Amino acid sequence: MIYLNLFLQFFHIGLFSFGGGYATLPFLYHIAENQGWYTVNQLTDMIAISSITPGPVGVNVATFAGFATSGILGALVATASVVLPSYIIVIIISKALEQFETNKNVRAAIYALKPAGCGLLAAVGVDMFMNNANLLGMFLLLVLFFVSRKQKHDPLFYLGVSALVGLFAGFFHLTA
Amino acid sequence: MNKSFYTIFKTFFKVGTMLLGGGYVILPLLQSELVDKKGWIDSDGLCEYYALGQSVPGIIAANMSIFVGYKLKGQAGALAAVLGIVTPAFLAIVLIASILEEIVHLNFVQSIFWGVGIGVIMLLFLATREMWDKSIVDRFTGIVFLAAFILSACFKVSPAIIILLAIVSGIIYRRNTTQILEEDIQEECKK
Repeated sequence: MIYLNLFLQFFHIGLFSFGGGYATLPFLYHIAENQGWYTVNQLTDMIAISSITPGPVGVNVATFAGFATSGILGALVATASVVLPSYIIVIIISKALEQFETNKNVRAAIYALKPAGCGLLAAVGVDMFMNNANLLGMFLLLVLFFVSRKQKHDPLFYLGVSALVGLFAGFFHLTA
Repeated sequence: MNKSFYTIFKTFFKVGTMLLGGGYVILPLLQSELVDKKGWIDSDGLCEYYALGQSVPGIIAANMSIFVGYKLKGQAGALAAVLGIVTPAFLAIVLIASILEEIVHLNFVQSIFWGVGIGVIMLLFLATREMWDKSIVDRFTGIVFLAAFILSACFKVSPAIIILLAIVSGIIYRRNTTQILEEDIQEECKK
């Protein structure tokens, strides 16, 4: 039964997420809060690891969440279900490419979908900030923010720096 | 060039292993593998699929792979491409997740993850900013952003419902106007 549930949840993520790499996160966050398959903290770890492992982040996180829910079979079900809507939709559209590209309603929908996806992601970010960042965390974020304004960096850079800070902070018991 | 199920799978598998970070990195990778090395499609075609990949739901990298795979060899090609792009991600995560279960309780690992949690907030901020630049172009899109944010952050409305509301509001608002969005993305892609 868990597999059917996994299939339904991840199929609906694949069907409704718009806007690239992190677009699936608001859905996974919602699952963490409502289904209790994994915690928000676990999801944060998954996002970090997914950002620095090979493969599209959306696929990585789905595999991870499936694995956290019910092992390797769960990972398989989650991964397959999250790309299945893409497969179906893309093949349908490929057959009627012209109609899709010039359809007014499609364009109108996309025009509104993008800011909505952006708003959803912003909500996740703010929620995580409220739940996780203590004084040291806020300071670290501020530093990272200023560094990012000077020059563009890789996700690995931000995660590496913050991992090191976490390691040191752990020694001095500052992470609580 | 031979376009068998296996060569398509292999090509996308290679792209999948080199794909790090957000979905937008896929463009230069596919350009190098499919356009420059294999000559399966041309640059303009790739840009079109890039724009299309963002216009349909799901993970952009997977969408693009399916579009290109279908163009190369129909349904079999689409299947080969999506399996290729997804398999490296799947294997890497299953491996890491198994190891993680063994070490996650260690104190220093916990400390590292505390720090990494802050890094993730930073990544989310950067991703949001990138999406912001591409999506908030006028007052209407600003309102949609704010509405989605409030419904999600304050009222914990399901993201799927918010997405459906956005689709409906966009169609109602844009009923009488035309706007060219895909071309914008293609322009940006060609730069």
